[in-house]
Amino acid sequence: MPKSGKQNVLIAGATSVIGRQVAEQLYYDDRNVGHIMAVGRESQKPYYFDEYDTSRFSYHSLNILKPRELTNLFLSERFRDSCINVFLHLAFIHRNDAPPPERHELNVDGTRALLTKCTETTGIRKFIFLSSWDVYRLKPHNPVLLDERADLNFDQRANPWIKERVDADMQCRAVMDHPRLQVVVLRPTGIIGRNVRHSMNEYLSSRICPAVAGFNPMVNLIHTFDVIRAIRCAIHRPVKGVFNVVGQEAAPLSEFIRLAGRVRLELPEPGVRSLNALQRRMGLTQWDFSVHPGRIKFSCQLDGKKAEDVLGYHPTHHVKF
Amino acid sequence: MDRRARDLVDSFLNVALDRDEMARLRALQIRDRGFGYDLFGAEKQSLSLGYFFLRWLYLYYFRVESTGHEHIPTGGRCILASNHSGVVPIDAAMIGIDIVRKLEPPRLMRAVVDNFAAAVPFVGLFLQRCGQVIGTRRNFEELLAADEMVGVFPEGAKGTGKPFSHRYQLLRFNVGFIELAIEHKAPIVPVAVTGAEEQAPMLLNLKPIARAIGFPYFPVTPTFPLLGPLGMMPYPAKYYIDYGEPFLFHEEYSAKALEDPHRLRILAGRVRKRIQGMLHKRVKERPGIYF
Repeated sequence: MPKSGKQNVLIAGATSVIGRQVAEQLYYDDRNVGHIMAVGRESQKPYYFDEYDTSRFSYHSLNILKPRELTNLFLSERFRDSCINVFLHLAFIHRNDAPPPERHELNVDGTRALLTKCTETTGIRKFIFLSSWDVYRLKPHNPVLLDERADLNFDQRANPWIKERVDADMQCRAVMDHPRLQVVVLRPTGIIGRNVRHSMNEYLSSRICPAVAGFNPMVNLIHTFDVIRAIRCAIHRPVKGVFNVVGQEAAPLSEFIRLAGRVRLELPEPGVRSLNALQRRMGLTQWDFSVHPGRIKFSCQLDGKKAEDVLGYHPTHHVKF
Repeated sequence: MDRRARDLVDSFLNVALDRDEMARLRALQIRDRGFGYDLFGAEKQSLSLGYFFLRWLYLYYFRVESTGHEHIPTGGRCILASNHSGVVPIDAAMIGIDIVRKLEPPRLMRAVVDNFAAAVPFVGLFLQRCGQVIGTRRNFEELLAADEMVGVFPEGAKGTGKPFSHRYQLLRFNVGFIELAIEHKAPIVPVAVTGAEEQAPMLLNLKPIARAIGFPYFPVTPTFPLLGPLGMMPYPAKYYIDYGEPFLFHEEYSAKALEDPHRLRILAGRVRKRIQGMLHKRVKERPGIYF
């Protein structure tokens, strides 16, 4: 039986890069976390969880689209005994991991299913969703800092992946006023870290980074470790709401390309599109320009003041390549 | 720019500019966030290069004369509100260069630019690197909070798109800068720029073409589009820049005034009237348009 006064966390998407690192930090470094339930799609417990003491840590395989599996998890003895009170939703499928219809189901319907389950389960006090800066509408004339009230990307012509991001984010906001459940939506800026499957990380991992001629946007990036810091702050602070999460560094994109040791190649936009298509076909990059063409053209710096003031989150890591 | 490019630019400017100018450029402050750029993307070397190229226009092409620098605050937040004209908005650049050259100590004017500029490749980037910002409220607030000098053109893009027949007749002023001046307790220095109206006399505005290309106007001047892109080269009108006594609306009115749109409109009208008066005086007194 977990000790009272501690947070007991269920991590959906625990087998993702960020999920694994969150689980590791909560297990080893956080005395205020009791039990951790890791949930993933893998049917067997991954090897990196083998060392964890089963009295504090458990792994469960789950398909979040199967209502019966979800119900069974929430009704399981392990769930009850663990007194899970925080649900951390990191189970957002990468755009390349499933065909669009299935991906949409997992990301949007899956988020809805998890939210519904959490609102019905009285023991769960907090739902944390890791959203993304992709939800913001990028316009050439955006203000220098986008705060949490900035326009979201409701453009019908947006890439389906972006629309899923926005839909999932909006679903969380729709239950923000729930009387019991504290819903926290974290919107990190471009995440940089080893093996992190984030568009900016993919872009800066390409040997050649195509850039649209005449544009060099200001961006602020964040290291994975700082994202995890923000998640830990969200777990422990009795707050709810939407929070931008930013890192220490803000600079033109060309500076980050230079820091990453990549080659910046300026081309007109059709040239960038063609080059990127060729790079992807040859397996040289996972970054897809067409998903968010504005990302390498228009500045996007998130205003992280609210997370500083309310969540008590302060970035401490420099972006490293 | 990387370090090598910055060093190259510095070396070049050390030779190309005289010692006093270099000292003035060095005295300009930007709040470096660690990579040599400030929050808005301004970079010292880029704005120094911009100064180098535009000073030629200031000194020899438009032969700018200016008065009233004693009215410009040498530190702290302030707003420079100017008339706007001339199709190509070089008047903003001339004010900026004038302040670097003549104000003691020199300051960097952060002019707010129209939204469409951000979408134009190279142009938007150049403006950003030279410290100019897109005219959103948030940007304005960030600048004032950082005690910067903000240049505004309350007539908006319509000011530069005035037909020649309406030269030196100021359009209605937007009130946003008044709100922000009161809210952030910033003095407003009225600025009158004479000469810009004659640099590109607009005879006609082809609105359908302007709409199609996303520009606020598509001008027809005596030389454009007749001579193609070269026709947009401004004529060498002599510039006069006059700075007037600042308005201290934040001392006259409390934040309650922000709730009264009628009051704000009246205050904007006062600034407009002052600038209009300064323009009329200068137009009357100047010996000629191009000399």
